[in-house]
Formats: sequence, structure tokens, C-alpha cells
Amino acid sequence: MSPRWFARRCLLIGYTLLIVSLLVFAITQALPADAAVMLLGENATPDALAAVRVKLGLNDPVWQQYWHWLSALLHGEFGISMRTGQPVGPAMLLALSRSLLLAACSLALMLALAVPLGIVAALRRGGPADIGASIVSYLGVSLPEFVTATLLLILLADRLQWLPATGYVPLSENFTDGLRHLALPVLTVSLILIAHVSRMVRSEMVDVLHSDYVRAARLKGLSGAAVLFRHALRNALMPVITIVALDVGYLLGGIIVVEEIFALPGIGRQLIVAIETRDLPAIQASALIMAATYAVANFLADVAYAFLDRRIRYE
Amino acid sequence: MNPVLAIRGYTLEYETAAGPRRVLDNVSLAIDPGEVLGLVGESGSGKSSLAWAIMRHLPGNARERGGAIEFDGENLVGMDRKRMAAIRGRRIGMVFQDPATSLNPTLPLGRQLTEVLIRHRRLTREAAWREGIELLRRVELREPEALMRRYPHEVSGGEKQRVVIATAFACRPNLIIFDEPTTALDVITGARILELFRRLRQETDVAGLYISHDLALVARVADRVAVIERGRILEQAKADQIFIAPTSDYTRRLVAAVPRPERRLTRDRPGPSPVLAARGLNVYYSRARLFGRREATGARQISLQIRAGEILGLVGESGSGKSTIARGLTGLARFGGEILFAGRRIAARRDMDSGYRRAVQVVFQHPDSSLNPRHRVGEILARPLRLFGGSVGDIPRLLEQVRLSTEYARRYPHQLSGGEKQRVAIARAFAAKPQLVICDEITASLDVSVQAAVIELLLALKATHGTAYLFITHDLNLVRQIAHRLAVMRQGELVDLLPVDALTSDRAHPYTRELLAASPAPVGQETSSVG
Amino acid sequence: MSDVLRRLLRTPQGALGLAILAILVAVCLLGPLVAPVDPEKIDFLGRFNPPGGKFWLGADQLGRDMLSRILVGARTTLPIALAATLLGTLSGAVIGTVSAYLGGRWDEAIMRTIDAVMAVPGLLLALLIVNTLGKGSLNAMLAIAVAFAPGMARVTRSVALTVRQQDYVSAAIARGEGSGWIVFREMLPNVIAPVVIETTIRVAFAVMLFATLSFLGLGAQPPAPEWGLMISEARGYLHQAPWLIVGPGIAIALTAIGFNLLGDGLRDALNPRDER
Repeated sequence: MSPRWFARRCLLIGYTLLIVSLLVFAITQALPADAAVMLLGENATPDALAAVRVKLGLNDPVWQQYWHWLSALLHGEFGISMRTGQPVGPAMLLALSRSLLLAACSLALMLALAVPLGIVAALRRGGPADIGASIVSYLGVSLPEFVTATLLLILLADRLQWLPATGYVPLSENFTDGLRHLALPVLTVSLILIAHVSRMVRSEMVDVLHSDYVRAARLKGLSGAAVLFRHALRNALMPVITIVALDVGYLLGGIIVVEEIFALPGIGRQLIVAIETRDLPAIQASALIMAATYAVANFLADVAYAFLDRRIRYE
Repeated sequence: MNPVLAIRGYTLEYETAAGPRRVLDNVSLAIDPGEVLGLVGESGSGKSSLAWAIMRHLPGNARERGGAIEFDGENLVGMDRKRMAAIRGRRIGMVFQDPATSLNPTLPLGRQLTEVLIRHRRLTREAAWREGIELLRRVELREPEALMRRYPHEVSGGEKQRVVIATAFACRPNLIIFDEPTTALDVITGARILELFRRLRQETDVAGLYISHDLALVARVADRVAVIERGRILEQAKADQIFIAPTSDYTRRLVAAVPRPERRLTRDRPGPSPVLAARGLNVYYSRARLFGRREATGARQISLQIRAGEILGLVGESGSGKSTIARGLTGLARFGGEILFAGRRIAARRDMDSGYRRAVQVVFQHPDSSLNPRHRVGEILARPLRLFGGSVGDIPRLLEQVRLSTEYARRYPHQLSGGEKQRVAIARAFAAKPQLVICDEITASLDVSVQAAVIELLLALKATHGTAYLFITHDLNLVRQIAHRLAVMRQGELVDLLPVDALTSDRAHPYTRELLAASPAPVGQETSSVG
Repeated sequence: MSDVLRRLLRTPQGALGLAILAILVAVCLLGPLVAPVDPEKIDFLGRFNPPGGKFWLGADQLGRDMLSRILVGARTTLPIALAATLLGTLSGAVIGTVSAYLGGRWDEAIMRTIDAVMAVPGLLLALLIVNTLGKGSLNAMLAIAVAFAPGMARVTRSVALTVRQQDYVSAAIARGEGSGWIVFREMLPNVIAPVVIETTIRVAFAVMLFATLSFLGLGAQPPAPEWGLMISEARGYLHQAPWLIVGPGIAIALTAIGFNLLGDGLRDALNPRDER
């Protein structure tokens, strides 16, 4: 990988994170006409409002506020929660770890199912299995996460009583119980991802199967397996990395809803709670962490892709 | 002696939404051992479908309606897949058209070569690798050991095609099918590949089916030639006979359409005064990026002159900069140096006023993208008319000039054929009554018979209007028929600028002579030419 | 126009999508007239009635008829989703076209910034904006529009760039046409089609996003019969009355599917195919 390319990518992610921080700050602190009123509500006393303004530094000019906020961030200080009075950072990072666990399990399940499904659908193109899969995945992308989650709740937790409805048990405490509590959230997120990704894998695979080089490989008399695994799959699966990276963003959005429904104390839940309690530093921290995770995921995907696709390296 | 391949009365149809489409109709061909049969047809003739039928790689909607394809006595039609898999690649090889797409971009070249050796000749990995290096050496590739480890995008088109050829020859097949193997390559590279092929033929005595749209090329390469039109074989003859004595009308037209440098189509002489001149012209490709500006010079220090009513041919291989000059002269790219027009100096794009724009028109290569798909033909022509002092009432006359009926004005581009679209593009250029029309490879995407008609049209228009042409092409034989003078470009520089009859003399630059050697005149005619 | 319609109806996706949406639009316009019962009518005796009899799709926790509520709910969701998408598309299209037109450094700078903005996932961005603006349908609509704008800018720019590189644009430049003509007469007619297709599919997302915001309590507010809100309110009664969730869920899915299908159908209908 050429160092120039790598340097450019690093510069880009730095720029991205900067813009993200600006955006989050602007929307939550700079834009509101009166952030103090927004935080405490309309009925707050003038004294309380003044106190909050001082506490959060809202009287300073906007750019100065941003600067203080940003430099604190770079030192690892995310501010003090207005709800708990504790530093926001540690709680957020703990929550993030739980969300990452959820995300990782979902991605793993998704890859394990979506990729084979997409490949089979492409190989049996036009057949009943393909059409059936197409319809199911169409449904999958037309249902918002909260609908899927609630339907799964009804089916698996309420009617069949197979899995617990809500709650969280850390894996370190009790592995099987922890898994059982994770199952429904992971299933919800995975289902939608599977619907989405299997369609893309199928479409990529169909393109590759019709490519000139796969045709050439067949006409060279290679075995079906060799054509599929050595020639077709390799080319079809590379874009999957990009797709997965894009889905991380989608997944983060879904996580917010899923954690809310299943009462999973991840970072999405932190955001919702922060919004409900009007806890400005917590809102900012959770939003920033989520966006930063997405940016980093994309960056890693870029690097992985470049590692595998030799053509890009020589840019 | 039994033929290697014998096709008897083979008929093939495709099921489409509009009903069955007959692609091959009662085709009968035979290829003897060691013989090369050329199959010539224009687009839609079914020649590629025949190749797929032989290789048994037909699409799902193909229906075979009869006939047999006998390979070494066995009928391939209806053969089970296992036995066919043993034949493919091992006893019948194939060389494809575009090596850039027929090689897997994610596998090293060596791997793609050795996999057939491992599969068909049952060699071990190491033995196959060694054999692969030998094969690459036989196809005249330098540093074969290093090349085995390279990826397709790291080597040139000619090198890729040699690897593909090596792979086809690797298992010592009885028959190799060549599907337009030099079409995607440059003229000189393509000529070298043909030489390689000639040599390999002598060494291995393999039989070949050489498919192409280029009659002249096939006649050089094959022993016998078959002409196919719309799924029917019209005639078969020995290669040198087909040019001298074609029997069917279609072949006659085809032969007549093949560009022959000695058959001069332009008989007049240009006027004395220059319409346009370029002095020290540099044309740039600019790609301004966020971090630094990357500017490349597509054409350097070009000086040439086009006189009234003259046809100046501009030839070169791809990347030589010939299209870049067209872009510079029409204000589509930034340039340095100067253009002289109507006594004025034009040093930058803003100097190109409406007088210049009117007098200098351009026609592009790809008929599909040069007409706005959302405009009707009438609108496309009305605009330049209105801009340059004509009126909408001139449209019928314009269409008539390019041999299209007036009702074409109501049509959309997607309702026209490639040749018809080019005619509209030409009409659009002539709507301004220009003094110079720049033709940027305008016939490169057309069938040879359509090309001949378009050239004839251009000459007729020139006779009527006295227009000059800057005719850009890579087809040397074509341009020698019509140009008064020829400019030769190589890697952005003007290498030669001479009157067309001086081309074969000693005045010509060595590169020009190389180009000439790579495009010899068609076989089977009275006067000999260089080559 | 009728030509496009004909081609649209020829594809199965187009026909089905159009049918679904026609029903939706009808429901939207006729609204309360079609509902068998007044959706706001509270009937304590009918609480939690399962589907059947008087309540075709059952009754909710306040005895309101689900069918009526779902039908009237279309009036909230559909116009807002459409408005949000159109607003987002328009603003995104302007940015994207300008960026493509400017080209070079400016184009790259704008696009890098757009990419950075898109690092904030859609729902997250919408949540933050609604948090600032305050809860409510109108604010939710604005939030969704803002969340969509960068994506549409990207799409428009990429289409505009492709069109710009076509030879017919070069021909226009070579003729000396002014920017106005080139952008509006040559480029725009060819840019519109792919943008329309993308917009149609985005409406499906807007429907889902709006429902999600309402579900989280930040979009439509009670007692509005918005589908997402209805599901949120029904969460507490999962056990007794699962139909409270299924009904609105199907409504959301059907709407989203309708727009997705229409978008797919338009993809075929709007591309001038070689008809010879």
C-alpha cells in the first residue's frame, strides 16, 4: 500500500471527524436559540437558567464554546452528565462496548447467512428459490426495525416464550443467560441486514457470473467448483466489504431503536435517555461516539478493500 | 482425411419476448486438420453465436433446431456435460476478444495459465509452473518468470493477449477458436499478435476458426474464408479468391467496402488558402484536485495547417493524442500556443467567437452518446440552425443531404441505427455551413459497409459545400483513400506530416513505416503495396 | 407522459407499485369518509376487542377502531414523507448539480464534506435535529429532509457528472452554447430520470424514518393516528392485543413496498430503450 494513499486516507478521516464534531456541536449547542431553555424547559426560573449557562459556558461566543469543547474532547473529557453528575466518558465507553458486542454478533450472523443466501440466489437465478428470497428480502427492507423487533417480541418472547423479552446480562456474569438476552436484539438487527446484504451479494454475484473472465474460465474447461470458488467468489465478495461498512451506519441507526425496545444498555439507549432527560453533554458524547465509530468502520473497510484489490493500491 | 470440425445444417434460435429469433440458419462448415477457416460477418451476423454453439456455452433461451456439430467425429450437440468438460480447454481452445476483461483481475497471470495445465494435463503445481514459463517464452514474452507472478492490470494489452494465446495453446488442442482477438488492440500490437499466430500455427499444426468482422484481416490469416450474413453462410472460398472473385452480392458489397489505399476516392485538389492553422499548439488534460493540480499534456507542439476543401488525415494509435487535438481545436480542452483562423490569432478558449464556432464543427465517435437521447432529431438539428443563421425550414433539406427521409425529424435517437445516428450527427455539423469539420474516429464503431456509406456521404457533402475535413482515425487504409495529406501522431507528438503519396517513400518517418507495415492492403489485388 | 405510464404498467413491479400507491392516495384523499368509524371515537366497552365483528381490525386500548385509525393514519404519514423527500431532494439536487458543474477542486471539497456529513447515520441526525427543534410532525419532516439532502446531493452529482461527460454535452460546448442552455436543456432532462427514480425509493425510507421517529415519541404526537405512534402506544399491551402492532406494521410495510416497487418500475420505464 503506497504511503501516499494511506496518508491521504488518514487526512480524510481526520477531516471527517472534524466535520462530524462541528455538526454535532452546531445542532445541539450552537443552533438552539437558547440552549439553556431547551435544556431546562420553559418553566425554569431565571436563576436556574443563568446557572446552567455558566456551568456549560453558554455565554461565551460560539466559536470559543466549540474550541473548549473540542479541546476537552481531544483530552478524552466528554463533560459531566447533567443527570448523574458523573463524567460522561466512562459510562459512554462501557455502553459502547455493549453496542459493539451487539453489532459484532449481528454482523457475524448476517455474514454467515446473507452471503450464502445471496450466492445461492444468484446461482439459481430466476428459479423459485430466487424469487422467494427476493420477495422476503423486499419485505425485510420495507419494515422498520421497531416493527420487526416488536413482531419478534410477540412471537418469540410472548407466544413461544423461547427468549426473554428485555434486559441485559453481561456475558462475563453468565454466558448462556447473557446470550439469551442478546438473542432477540441480534436477531432483529440481523434480519434486516440479511435482507439488505443478500440482495446486494446476489446482484454482485450475477454480474460476476456473467463477466467475460468467468466465461473464459468455464470455456477453459475448469471444473464448476474451480470456476465458482477461484474465479467468481473472489471478485463478488470484495464489494461485500464496502457493503458491510455502509451497513454499519445503518446498523447504528437500528441499534438506537433496538436497544430502546429491548432495554439493552448500549450507546443508543444512552442517547435516547440523554434526549429524554435533556442531558446536553451526554447527547453530544453519544452522538459523537456513534458517528466516529461509523467513520472508523468505513476507514477500516477502505483499508481492507485496498489490501485485497491490488488495482487500488497503485493509485 | 476427416475434418477436425464439421458443422452440418446447424440451426439455432433464441427465444425472445418478441418471439423466436433465428440466429443461425442451416450452417454448414468444415475445418480440416491444420487448416484455418476465417468466418467473416458484420454485427448481428451470428458469428459469435456459432463460437458459443461449438463450445456449448449457449444462453438459457437458446433453442437448437437441428443439425450437428461434429468434432473429430463426435457430435457435440446433445453431449453430456462431463464429456464436454473434458473437451473444452483441452481439445478445443479459445482466444477471446478483449484480454482486459477475459482475464481475472484478482488472480496472477501464472495461476490462470497453470490451472489449465493442472486440470487437463494433470501436471503438479511445480511442473505446471515450469511449463507455464516455457509457454510464455514461446509466445515471445520477455522475463516470463516475473510475468507469471504479475496481475493483468500490470501488463499491457499485447502482453495480456499473448498470455491468453499461451493458455489456449497450452494443452495442445486440435482446434482453437479465435473470436476477434486483435480488435481490442492497437494496430501495431495487433499485427505482431498475428505474426505470432502465424508462427505458432507452423509449429503446432493446430486447426483454427478465426472469427472477425474484418475481411481484409481474415484473408491474410486464414486458408479459407466463409462469409456469414444474418445466420446464413453465403459463400466459402479460398482466402485469395474471395477478394478477386466474390460470388454473392453481399460479399461483393463487403469487398467493395473494404478500404483499399490504392483505390483513391478523392480526386480533387485543395484550395491554396488555409482555413485553419495551429502553431505550437499544446493541449492539456487538467485534473485539478484538492491537493495539488495534476496536469498532463495530451498533445505537444503541434503545428499544422488545413487548406480550403482539403482532407487532412490524422492517424495514430490510442493514446497518441489525436482526439486531444480535436478537443483543443473545438474549445473542449485548455490549450497553449495559438490557432490561426480567418486572419485572427486565437490564443485561448474565450477568443473562439461565434464565427469560429460556426466555421469549425465536430462529429464524435460514439453515435450513442453524441445525440441527446431526450431530444428528437428535429430539435437536435434546429438548434445549430437557429444559432448559426439558418431556419427551422432547412431541416428537411439537411436530412435529405444525409440521405435520411424527412420523417426522421420526429424520431428519438434510440429509434435510429448506429449509422443513422452518425448521419444525424453529420447533418448537425453541416447545419452551420462550416468550413472545417473535424471527424473524430466517426466510423470506428460502425460496420464496414456502413462505414463505406458514411465516407461516401462525407465526400458528397464536400463536393457540394467545399468543406475541409480533419479526419481522425486509426485506420490507415481508410484514410489513404480519402486524404490529401496525412499527419501521424505518436505519444502526443506530431511525427510526420506528408502528402499521401509520399507515405510509401523514404521521406516517411520510421514510425510511419511501422504503421504502414502493420496495416497491409487487402490480399488479392493487382497493384502491390507496402507490407 | 402517457408513454412513460404505458411502459411502467408493462413491468410487474411498476404495475403493482402503481396499484398500491393509487390505493394509498385514494385513502389519503378520502380519509375519514372511507373509515367505517370515527377514528377518534373512544369506546370503553370495545377496548381490546380482537379483529372481527364491529371492529374489522380490532380495537385498541381506548376502544378506537384500528381500521379507521390506520386508514386515517395515511393522511399523516404520506404527505409528510413526500414533503420531506421532496425537500431533501431539491436541496440535495441543487448542491449536487452545482458541485458537478463547478468541477475540479470545489467539487472535491464539497463532496468530501458531504461524505463527512454522511458519517452521521440518518436516524441519528434526524434525532439530533428534532431534539433541537422540538417534537412534532413538522419538525420531524424537516429533520428527515436534512438527513436526506447529503445522500441526494451525492446521487445528483454522480448522475450530473456522467451526463456532463457525454458527447452531446461536448457538442453543445463546441457549438459555443451558454451555461444556461447546457445545464437546463442538455443536461437536466437526462439528469431528472435517475433522480426521480432515486427519490421515489427514498420516499419509502422517509415513511419508515418518520414512523420510527414517531415511535420514539419525537415525531407525531398523541392522539394522532400515526402508524409508528400507534405501535409505540401498543407496546404495553403486546400480550393481550398483538393485532395492535400487526395492523399498523403492515400499513407501513405496504406503503414502503409500494414506493420501492414504483421506483424499480420507473427504472425500466424511464430509460429510452432501443426499440427497433
